[in-house]
Amino acid sequence: MKRFLALLVRLFPASFRQQFGADMIEQIWTDHDRALSAGRLRAFGLAVATALDLVRSAVAEWLDPTWVGSGRTAKGDGMAGMASAWVRDLRLAARSLRRSPGFAAVVVGTLGLAIGANAGIFSVVDAVLLNPLPFTDPDRLVFIAASAPGSDFPEEFGVSSEFYLQYGEQSKLLEAVATYNAFTATLRAGDRAERVWMSWPTSTLFTTLGVTPMLGRLPVEEDDINVAVISHALWQSWFGGDSTVLGKTYEMAGAGRTVVGIMEPDFHFPDDRPLLWISNVIREEGLVPGRFGAPMVGRLAPGATHEALVNELTMLAGRLPERFGGPANYARLMEQHRPIVRRLDEQLLGPVARPLWVLLGAVGIVLLIACANVANLFLVRAEGRQRDLAVRRAIGAGRSQLIRSQLAESIVVAGLAGCLAVLLAWATVPVFLRSAPAEIPRLGDVGITVATLAFTLFAAVLAALACGLVPAVRGSAPDLKRLRESGRGSTRRRHWGRDGLVVAQTAMALVLLIGSGLLVRSFDALRNVDPGYDTEDIFTFQIAPEGDYLPDAPAYARFHMEFMDRLAALPGVESVGIVENVPLNEGTAGTRFRPEELANDPEAGSLLNFTFAAGDYFRTMGIAVRQGRGFRPSDHSSEPGNVVISSAAADLLWPGQDPIGRRLQRQGLDSWETVVGVVEDVVQSNFRDAAQPLVYFPLVGQDPTSWTISSPAYVVKTPRAETIAPEIRRLAREVAPEAPMYRVFTMAGLARDSMVGLSFTMLTLGVASMLALILGAVGLYGVLSYIVAERTREIGVRMALGAKAAQVRRMVVVQGARVLVFGVVLGVAAALGATRALGSLLFGVEALDASTFLAMSGAMIGVGLLASWVPAWRASNVDPIESLRGD
Amino acid sequence: MSRLEYHVLLALAGRPLYGYAIKDAVASESTGKLRPRAGTLYRVLARLMTTGLVSETSPAEAAEPHPGLARKYYGLTVEGRRTLAAEAQRLKGAAALAEKRLGVVEGRP
Repeated sequence: MKRFLALLVRLFPASFRQQFGADMIEQIWTDHDRALSAGRLRAFGLAVATALDLVRSAVAEWLDPTWVGSGRTAKGDGMAGMASAWVRDLRLAARSLRRSPGFAAVVVGTLGLAIGANAGIFSVVDAVLLNPLPFTDPDRLVFIAASAPGSDFPEEFGVSSEFYLQYGEQSKLLEAVATYNAFTATLRAGDRAERVWMSWPTSTLFTTLGVTPMLGRLPVEEDDINVAVISHALWQSWFGGDSTVLGKTYEMAGAGRTVVGIMEPDFHFPDDRPLLWISNVIREEGLVPGRFGAPMVGRLAPGATHEALVNELTMLAGRLPERFGGPANYARLMEQHRPIVRRLDEQLLGPVARPLWVLLGAVGIVLLIACANVANLFLVRAEGRQRDLAVRRAIGAGRSQLIRSQLAESIVVAGLAGCLAVLLAWATVPVFLRSAPAEIPRLGDVGITVATLAFTLFAAVLAALACGLVPAVRGSAPDLKRLRESGRGSTRRRHWGRDGLVVAQTAMALVLLIGSGLLVRSFDALRNVDPGYDTEDIFTFQIAPEGDYLPDAPAYARFHMEFMDRLAALPGVESVGIVENVPLNEGTAGTRFRPEELANDPEAGSLLNFTFAAGDYFRTMGIAVRQGRGFRPSDHSSEPGNVVISSAAADLLWPGQDPIGRRLQRQGLDSWETVVGVVEDVVQSNFRDAAQPLVYFPLVGQDPTSWTISSPAYVVKTPRAETIAPEIRRLAREVAPEAPMYRVFTMAGLARDSMVGLSFTMLTLGVASMLALILGAVGLYGVLSYIVAERTREIGVRMALGAKAAQVRRMVVVQGARVLVFGVVLGVAAALGATRALGSLLFGVEALDASTFLAMSGAMIGVGLLASWVPAWRASNVDPIESLRGD
Repeated sequence: MSRLEYHVLLALAGRPLYGYAIKDAVASESTGKLRPRAGTLYRVLARLMTTGLVSETSPAEAAEPHPGLARKYYGLTVEGRRTLAAEAQRLKGAAALAEKRLGVVEGRP
């Protein structure tokens, strides 16, 4: 804001600024700071007053200089003469607008709102999407993943360690590569211990991105996995910005690691969450190939293209089996392997780009509609001035002079609207950001920047031209006959210009209406998805106990079973269960399972996801047991080897057969597990995705060292889900004082969060389309009112000759309806193309859903007819005597 | 002479002041009735300088230190001092006249 006010000082003539500019800025800033200490609202009020004063004084200084030198250039010839003529016209325009404050308020308000909405959304788009990533040469950074068309692997999956070695050592088109990840783990410093987001990238990450630390150094290969660099945010919040933190060792993700560097404040990778990066080194010794899942970033050599890189990497990956070995199916997979290469910014920002562009498009349409409305109002105003202009033309005013004087008004209007827009954006963007989904990166950088101001200026100039040019050009060629007619209105003149504007408005408003209608339908469909579990009255959290008292997997299992009993004893708790990956918060891992029937074929089986569950997990989550039973306490202790599978998994492994009592084997394990139950499928991470086949393991395997469940998610069914957290925290501190509680949610909250991306877009687009609908209706109303007013005389004659009131009403409504129908047809045609932009935002509804198109067209026509009813009613009340008295 | 012009001259009559100090002096000496914004204040100052009542000068004592560019100090010219005195005289006369007349009005039965 301060910068914006300082910019306004630039409106003053240069010589004035030279003398007083610094003093003015000092006063403005000091006043602003003083007002800020009295509250944000106070500061805002002062800023508005100061801005208005600056604009007024600057204009006054140009017109009536108080300072020697000010405005000197305004007189003279050539450019200067032109400038002074413009200044004179603008002054006249400002005066004439002041004489019709109602008109001025409506047009400035309409344009200000529309430009403000554009400025606001643009400031978000600019910070999130347009700003280049804060890395060196971000254009050369690529994201690399793997795909294997024809295999049963997912469409796209992360690479594994041998890819990193192969690409890093042998690619000529890549200067550097790194793999990375992001996860939560415990950070312990002194007596503070919390689960925080961390990343464990290869130490090449920083050189690949081309970043340097703010303090200290970056990890190098010799550091192995024993050092870490921390984010500026962590440095400030945990260590108070104390640089002696460098060289100290803290416990991160289960081991002591030394802090060697502190990153710049704007360094975030791969998203805004990780607070520290542990060094990692991948070596060839002991590497097991085929452990996929790591995202990879690479830096292209100068001039290398994505296509060339894909070819090179295909070739390099094809040689992996001969270098690293691996089973036969690994070799086959590598034959099918195709690398996926895309720009890093596309990878990191892609998911949020579409909704933001859709929103910017929507408010852009609102601006066009607002321009059409304002242009219409200017046309009407110019109409009333025809006579005046004809006189000016008759006494020798040039055409360009007339255009300039007409355009001046719309420039003044757009200028004022631009100022209003910046203030609006400044005031509303923080509110907008608070309701935005947290997964949008870089939201913290959003603000009214120079780019936003430039965009607003651009929008205002465009609006001025759009609103002013047509009326100005039309008005500059006034009909000299008008002078003779002494301004008498003609009976039925063409209104092509205005009708055209209303048609365009209707069409654009309808596009937005249909778009938001489709989103509402999607939202509704998503809300009605049956995820396979309840979301009400369930509280979930994780703790990660560790210490000498937990030496092995059975010890962990006992801990969890006992803790579940303690939780179940809390008042109001109905049931308690645990699961390794709670739906909507964490994804499950996948691997190959084979049924006993295919035991002879080592490569047979299906890709299934798996997780671990215990206690009353299924009952707590409301996951129905279809066949057999859920887990019993003995499954986790005395009789291991039982599993529960989901319906989809049963269908994949034993289609059409009873799976109870059958056995299956997880790849990499020697033991066979027996199916004791089949449960309903669940949506794991996203309501939009189909349920994945899932195998639930108990807490301990048949061999006590098979797996260890150290930090599962607890789920607690209780009506007090929203308020029970402090009690559970106390209990957790009793049983495991060393373990922080984290990932604390209610399932209802997780369900809300999983839809916030869509609901946010839907709400914003809904507001935009309502605005468009209202503006469109107002436009139609304005045009019909004007036509009725102009035809009062004709209507009077008709009624004097015996026309009924109903006939007159119909005449006006039909005129409105004709324009409406044109608009709706055009709008539907445009929407057929435009709704495709919504693409992946839609769910459970086609982009060309006929019922939505019909319903929204109906709504548009309904509102339009309503808008034409008022002028029609007014027309039918015309008193023939009154209307003809003028003659 | 406008009220703001009068108060700016009044503020500078004591000693040369820099921009923000003028604003503060005007605000306090008008008991808060005048709180000129930057645009308005500096146009008035510019007009007073152009008409030769105020000029840029050096501060009376050592300027109080502050960050940024050196501040510009403004003071009354001889002409400014005379004009202010004349205006004050005029105001005094006008005020006396007003009091007298109001007194007459109040005194009526």
